[in-house]
Parts: sequence; C-alpha cells; structure tokens
Amino acid sequence: MIRLENIHKRFGDLEVLKGIDVEVAQGEVVCLIGASGSGKSTLLRCINGLESHDDGRVTIDGVEVDRRKPSIHDIRTSVTMVFQRFNLFPHRTALENVIEGPIYVKGEPRREAEAHGRALLDRIGLATKADSYPASLSGGQQQRVAIARALAMRPKAILFDEPTSALDPELVGEVLAAMRDLANDGMTMLVVTHEMGFAREVGDRVLFMDGGLIVEEGPAESVLTDPQHDRTRDFLRRVLNK
Amino acid sequence: MPQFLSKAGQYLPILIDGVVITVSLTIAALVISTVLGLVWALMRYSGIGALVLISKTIVNTVRGIPILVQLFYIYFVLPELGIELTAFQAGAIGLGIAYSCYMAENFRAGLEAIEKGQIEAAQSIGMKWPLMMRRVILPQAIRTVLPPYGNTMIMLLKDTSQASVITVAELTMKGKLVASSTFDNMTVYTFVALLYLALSVPLILLAGYLERRFGTR
Repeated sequence: MIRLENIHKRFGDLEVLKGIDVEVAQGEVVCLIGASGSGKSTLLRCINGLESHDDGRVTIDGVEVDRRKPSIHDIRTSVTMVFQRFNLFPHRTALENVIEGPIYVKGEPRREAEAHGRALLDRIGLATKADSYPASLSGGQQQRVAIARALAMRPKAILFDEPTSALDPELVGEVLAAMRDLANDGMTMLVVTHEMGFAREVGDRVLFMDGGLIVEEGPAESVLTDPQHDRTRDFLRRVLNK
Repeated sequence: MPQFLSKAGQYLPILIDGVVITVSLTIAALVISTVLGLVWALMRYSGIGALVLISKTIVNTVRGIPILVQLFYIYFVLPELGIELTAFQAGAIGLGIAYSCYMAENFRAGLEAIEKGQIEAAQSIGMKWPLMMRRVILPQAIRTVLPPYGNTMIMLLKDTSQASVITVAELTMKGKLVASSTFDNMTVYTFVALLYLALSVPLILLAGYLERRFGTR
C-alpha cells in the first residue's frame, strides 16, 4: 500500500537518506528503529510530503506523493500522522481537535463528525475530556487525542513519529495501549519508535536504520532477539542495557 | 474651575464637530490599516519569494517616510496625476497606509510566534493554506497580536491630528480655530487634550476586552 523506492534526501551537504526501499502492506504494523539522526523521522515525513525527497518515488496505493501537486492534500487525508510533540490545536477542545479535519477538510456534517469524534474519544478512554482544552490534559492524554484526531480522518494508514518520546515514563503505557488497540483493529501503521517492547509485541516487521540506510529488516521477533548485523546488535545492546 | 467649565461649554458645540471627524477618521484609517497590514503580513508569511519582496519593500518604504509627507503627497500630488480626493479621504487613506506598516509588523510577530508543529499538524490532516490560516494560524496569532494592536489603535487616534495639515476639520484643527479667534489658549487646548484622553479610554477598554475575550486558554 505504501511503497518507497530508492529514496534519497539531502540537507545541504548531508545525505540523510541514501536509497531506501520499503513496502508496507495493508494492515501491517511496521516499526522503524535506529539511533537518533539515522533518518527515521525524515523517511516518515517523506511519506506524507511534509518533507520532499530528492530522488526516488513514494506511492500510496499507486498515487505518487509530490508535495508540489494538489493531490498531496488528498494523500494527507488518507495517510495521517501522529507527532512526537502532539501538536494539538491549543485553541480548540479535545473534541474540536478531533472533528476539525472531518468537518473542514472532508466536509462531513457536524452532527456526524461529532458522533464519530465522541466515539473515538470514548475508545481511547477520554470521553469525559471531550470539552477540555489541550493545556489541561496530561501529555499522555494529549497524545491519545492526537491519535483520535489522526483516526477521525478515517485514514488508510497512520504514521507515528516517535509518539512516546516526549512523554514522562509513567505516561508511555497509555499511549502504547491505544496504539496496540489500533493495530489489533487492523490499522496500517508505520511507527518510528524507541520502544523495543512495543516493536516486538505489536510490530509485524521491524526495520533497523543506520546512516541513512536500512541495515536490517525482518519479522519483529527475529530482528530484535536474533539480529544478524553487528550494527543492529550494537544498537540493541545500547538501548536495552541503558 | 467653574470658569473653565462655562467657557468649555461654549466651545463644546464647535469642538464636538471635530470629535466626530476625529472618530470617523480613526475608524476609517483603522479599517484600511488593518486590512492592508494583514495583507502585507500574510504576503511576508507566505514564503513565496516575489510576495515576500513586495511586502518588505512596501513596509520599509512607507515606514521610512514621515506621515506628514505622505499626507501632503496624497492630498497635493495625486490630484496632479488626476486622482482627486477630499481632505477626509486623503487623510483616511494616508493614515491607513502609513499605519498598515505598523500593523503588518504586529501581525507578523503574531504569526511567527506560532510553532511550526501547528503548521505540520494542519497539513497532516490535509488542510490547504487558506483553511490552515483561517482555522489554525490566525485564531492563535490574534492572542499575541492584541496587546500591540490596542497600542497601535491609540497611537492612530492621536495621529489623526496630523490630518489637520491637509485641512481635515478634526478636533485639533477645530481647537486651533477656536483658540485663534478667542485667544483663550489655556481653556481650549486643555479641553482638546481632555477630549483626546476621553476618546482613548473606550479604546483602552476595548483592547482590554478583546484580550480577555481571545486571550485566555
């Protein structure tokens, strides 16, 4: 469904992506792991055109992603994103954040969008916070609202950019639980994460990136417990024995 | 004091005409400067090379020319080019353009205070630029912009007095007329000053109200 072919990306002299090929099938949960600066987030942001790529092709169900073309807006409604720093709209309540896209981008009737929005908030355990503003929610609650906002567009896939990295440790669990719930429901997910436990348990596949390349990939269990490459082994040793 | 009041009472009908003109001029110039200022700021914020350049050029040129000179130019030079304006129109347009640059800088500060993550969040749910501006960026920018906006409104009210040089019969002009015919400078100018002060109070209250209305949360 999501296909990346030979993606290259440079920031000035620095080449952050050096030819990446990835394919994500419908319903698959793929976790992208690797050290900071290995290009994981950049890769993710090329998929919905928040970042442009210099070479190669990104396609979603055969439609090419090109941030300069008008089609980019439709692509973004079908592949939404959850950010490290939540990026909720601070001037709107939790429910308003969730229904903003459905009403103003997709033109859904307000009543329908609200019903769907409330159902989503209920599903992530925040039904009582519908009328709260982001500032009065904890980080974990904000990130769950952000997940509901991404879901409300009824996307084909959701991109997660280090969704738990900005959270206090005790709040990580509730966000991962919400993501696990989505995965069990068959949502196609591409997750940049440092949560190895989550990657092993929920991920169908794990990609390990290093120096702008995918060094190793395979079923989550085998990559994480029996890595074949030295660099993967090094990385995992460092993260797991912190 | 009673003497001041009785004399002031005599001058009031004439000065009130000036107050009406001053208020109308302030409102007209405020509308023009707000609209134009928003246009300059959005052009600058768009990141599109040509628009940024045009906006920067306009703002820096207009800011660098005294308001009096701009008023003279619009009132005395434009007719030679075939554009005839009444004194009031020339005053409103001149002050509107001059102030649009201060407004643009206020608005720009508000726009640039918004986190990049907000833009990305809006884009990530498929919003196009105009919708993002209307629903995400501008409502947040308003909060940062209101305090300096209120300040600029009050400056504008006082600067309408400069339009007297192109014969707009606003409060300062009326005051001068009364003073030169009565020689009662003390009473007239004290009264004129108090009238300006009285006019700025509603603006201060309005600014405060707007800040409370949009400011919290």
